[in-house]
Amino acid sequence: MARGVQFLRTTQLADGSWPATPAEKSGCWVTSLCCWTLQATGDSAAGVAAGLKWISDDWPRDTSAWQRFLARFSSQNEVHPINNAYRGWGWTPETSSWVEPTSFALIALERAGSDSLPPNSERRRELATGMLYDRICPGGGWNCGNPRVYGVAGEPLVVPTVWALLALRHYPARAENVLSLDWLARCVASIQGGSSLALAKICVEAYGRQWPSDAPRLRDLYERNAFLDSVQATALSCLALGERSHFLASATARPT
Amino acid sequence: MNVREPKLIPSFQRPASSVVIRRVPDYQQDLAAVIQESLLAFDLPVKGKTVLLKANFVGLDPLGVMNTHPAVIAATRECFLRLGAAQVLIGDGPAMDRDTEAIVESVRLREYAGPLARVFVDLNLDDVARVVLKTHASRLKELYLPKSALGVDFLVSMPKLKTHHWAGVTLSLKNMFGIVPGSCYGWPKNVLHWAGIDRAILDINAAARPDFAIVDGIVGMEGNGPIQGAPKASGVLVFGNDPVAVDATCCRVMGLAPERVTYLARAGTLLGHVKADKIQQLGESIASVRMPFAVLQEFRALSEPVSGLE
Repeated sequence: MARGVQFLRTTQLADGSWPATPAEKSGCWVTSLCCWTLQATGDSAAGVAAGLKWISDDWPRDTSAWQRFLARFSSQNEVHPINNAYRGWGWTPETSSWVEPTSFALIALERAGSDSLPPNSERRRELATGMLYDRICPGGGWNCGNPRVYGVAGEPLVVPTVWALLALRHYPARAENVLSLDWLARCVASIQGGSSLALAKICVEAYGRQWPSDAPRLRDLYERNAFLDSVQATALSCLALGERSHFLASATARPT
Repeated sequence: MNVREPKLIPSFQRPASSVVIRRVPDYQQDLAAVIQESLLAFDLPVKGKTVLLKANFVGLDPLGVMNTHPAVIAATRECFLRLGAAQVLIGDGPAMDRDTEAIVESVRLREYAGPLARVFVDLNLDDVARVVLKTHASRLKELYLPKSALGVDFLVSMPKLKTHHWAGVTLSLKNMFGIVPGSCYGWPKNVLHWAGIDRAILDINAAARPDFAIVDGIVGMEGNGPIQGAPKASGVLVFGNDPVAVDATCCRVMGLAPERVTYLARAGTLLGHVKADKIQQLGESIASVRMPFAVLQEFRALSEPVSGLE
């Protein structure tokens, strides 16, 4: 653990962000995860504050005033109808808002104490929350962020659905949350990947629901192919099977 | 790491390319025999080498129309081993769904290809190396790409024969988007879209030149591809050591004009041949297997007849 934390401390860039790999010179979506992780250690306040400031100042390019003006004349509005008044976060700076990096940023911001939050963070959270609800698939659940393309409803995916639900877990009674949780619960029995199964378990239990009795077991999936040697799937499985009090702060229901 | 540094040769300096078309009605055929015979038409330098089969795994695919079929991948792997390859890896970095394991299991790759430990590489999560882009077709100056793709001796692009709602068609060149790691660029790899899909396709293929292409057109996809289109039973496999020529041939099989596919037209100036008179067609003729694919309204110009085609 100490070596991991030290690695994060030494790889933070001067602007407060973290790169996806140590060789890169610019930060990206992993900044939210790094902040989230260091928040749990409790002794990296300055690094976390710098990271949160970078997150709060990192606006996606697709929803800038200029891009929104150009979008009025674009045929893509009918192809790919989304409300660009909402703004989340992209995977990399100056690109478009997507469900997962937006969810990661919301979780990182929600965990921060008020003393480490930049002034514009509350507004960013409001816009990002609106963006997630705008991007929900018609039948519930989320995919990467395209709920409808060329008039065809997008199919939700487990991983982005879980992260969106975890980011929005303060609104458990909202119809979108309930619809999406129902979708997730229905598809648990057919999940074939360790990452998806572990995340689904974390999410269902975070909402206080019972884990479906027909769900596959992580152990069985692991024995099948060792998660294709995926460190990510193994780590998520450890989180799903272990103590999660440090992983997710308990949700406080907010007005819908 | 031994990084491949293929040279860029202007098309007018390149000899004519060869493309093999095989008629294969379904996936129950003896695919290994068909593929072996087709590979032998080329003098492939794979003995003792490491080969990476870069498949096209897009998402969960219960109908088997979205991803490269596992029977084709497994048979190709077997053939390269027969040709003396020391190691034949299978890999991809899906663009939308982060759970690559779930996709690989959903397509039943393990049932066809056997145990995947140390055989399958998730290119989204592989170690990466910095690659300075020399073509400057897009605004990208560099990319971090997976070491498994850069360090391999022989790279094979294995796409599905599909239309694509942003690029027109997705074949062996567009398939190389899958080597761009999600761990760095996300799911989807949105930075490539902002850089311009057509131009980014050129930059990526110039940086990590696939040595060979095998297109699974036994069942392809038409209309709103690459995910939400309709299955199209086309009954072909297409092979070649010039991916541009392979893609141009596939377009002609699909009843589309490759010269009108923006990225293919550009690729024809630097990476390979698009013009029909520079491509030696082996196996079946294009006319005998042509099967017009439906395209979205935005790409209707691709399917209009072109004088002198073929």
